[in-house]
Amino acid sequence: MTEPIKQPVREVSRGETILKINNLRKVYGDLEVLKDIDLEIKKGEVICVLGPSGSGKSTMLRCLNLLEVPTAGTLELKGEMIFDGKRTEKLDELRQETGMVFQSFNLFPNMTAKENVSIAQIRVRGRKKQDAHRRSIEELTKVGLEAKVDEYPDRLSGGQQQRVAIARALAMDPEVMLFDEVTSALDPELVKGVLDVMRGLADSGMTMICVTHEIGFAREVADRVIFMDGGYIVEQGPPDDVLGNPKEERTKKFLGLVLEH
Amino acid sequence: MEQFFNTYFDFSLMGEYFGDVLEGFWWTIRLSIFGGALALIWGLILAVLRQAPGKALAPVRWIVIAYIDCLRGIPMLLTLLLIYGGLGTLQSEGTIPKWLGLPEFLGWPPYFWYGVMALTLVYGAYMAEVYRAGIESVPRGQMEAARSLGMSHNQAMRFVIVPQAVRRVIPPLLNDYIALMKDTSLVSVISMPEVVRIGSDIYSTTFNPSALTLGAILFLVVTLPLARLVDWQIKRQDEKFQRGMA
Repeated sequence: MTEPIKQPVREVSRGETILKINNLRKVYGDLEVLKDIDLEIKKGEVICVLGPSGSGKSTMLRCLNLLEVPTAGTLELKGEMIFDGKRTEKLDELRQETGMVFQSFNLFPNMTAKENVSIAQIRVRGRKKQDAHRRSIEELTKVGLEAKVDEYPDRLSGGQQQRVAIARALAMDPEVMLFDEVTSALDPELVKGVLDVMRGLADSGMTMICVTHEIGFAREVADRVIFMDGGYIVEQGPPDDVLGNPKEERTKKFLGLVLEH
Repeated sequence: MEQFFNTYFDFSLMGEYFGDVLEGFWWTIRLSIFGGALALIWGLILAVLRQAPGKALAPVRWIVIAYIDCLRGIPMLLTLLLIYGGLGTLQSEGTIPKWLGLPEFLGWPPYFWYGVMALTLVYGAYMAEVYRAGIESVPRGQMEAARSLGMSHNQAMRFVIVPQAVRRVIPPLLNDYIALMKDTSLVSVISMPEVVRIGSDIYSTTFNPSALTLGAILFLVVTLPLARLVDWQIKRQDEKFQRGMA
């Protein structure tokens, strides 16, 4: 059942477009969650997506690795058409180039931390078990969990679980990392540990798209901040502009509400 | 009262026929082991096929659902009689191979294997529903996490979803297994000399049902511990859930 090893995908250099979506729409029944989204993500870019709940930011993120199939629009990976509005091609390639971390961690409860990080390396990347385990320990050490490699998820705190989830995604050597409100389910004192890992990852040059409510993190780490509301991208630009001096009324209002407390 | 005991608990009769009854019960055990093991496997296959993804595989889902509904909607006795009444004939006409029409694996008679088939087909359908409940109780995020790591639907099922689902459904599966064990007695109607058949044969010559009582006791020796095992499993899982595990 072992699937083919990673296909040779064209290398993109820093600053080149890696993911691109055009005219993306997503409709659930009567509800139009994404109305018309265009977005280009360049290699090495760190993007933070902000917006009120229900603005479509998580749905947009989930469309980027086709966990949600868009109703219309196109998705390109490194200039190759992955989704043309109807059909998906090279889904494996896309999923292998994108790592995702979820709000609710979604670790596999029947596996230890090390096994969580190893399973896809073995089954998808075709790595040998020992090699995968070695790599897993390496990744878990990077996120500060070298002492927890043999623990099951229920023995780990939320922050530790989330760091295992990050290690699990990174062990697959993705080109882009998608973070979906990864600190929202954490107790306040555990948030910093996870944000520190993400900060380090951003410094190392990883391409990252983070849906988040952490304005401070966005201001400090993002190259570009995107503000979404009502299924549209309302405003985007460098954090100093969007967060420091927003042009749009809706952005101002949202930031006012978030920064008040 | 004494009359009651002499009727149902005639110990001298029980002693006299103990060997025969035990031999019958040994067939009962073998039916439950073979029928049960195959039903567990067949049920899981059905449950996984029922979760086949996408539009293209919709017919597979429909066929599986129809199968499960029909087999659960027919008395097992009828299914058994249909197998017994048809396979032998089809085999003698050469429509189906001998291993299927007149199976004699391990040197055991065809009616044993007809019984195993009926138990597998019927209890596979029941167990498929149990497995399905287990698969559906695994949070959606598990499948999403597996898929986001590049696993195919089948890999995600095999390595992530099914192992978690099976753990959750061990108690209800054991309940089905107890029911299956008792339904092995139906195979008596196609002249399988299992414990009920033996007991009623003894009754028809002695006009005393004590051999049947003995059969009932033998059943309880196996099913009561199984029932306790189910309770123990449920309790253990509850404790796990309370700790936020499983």
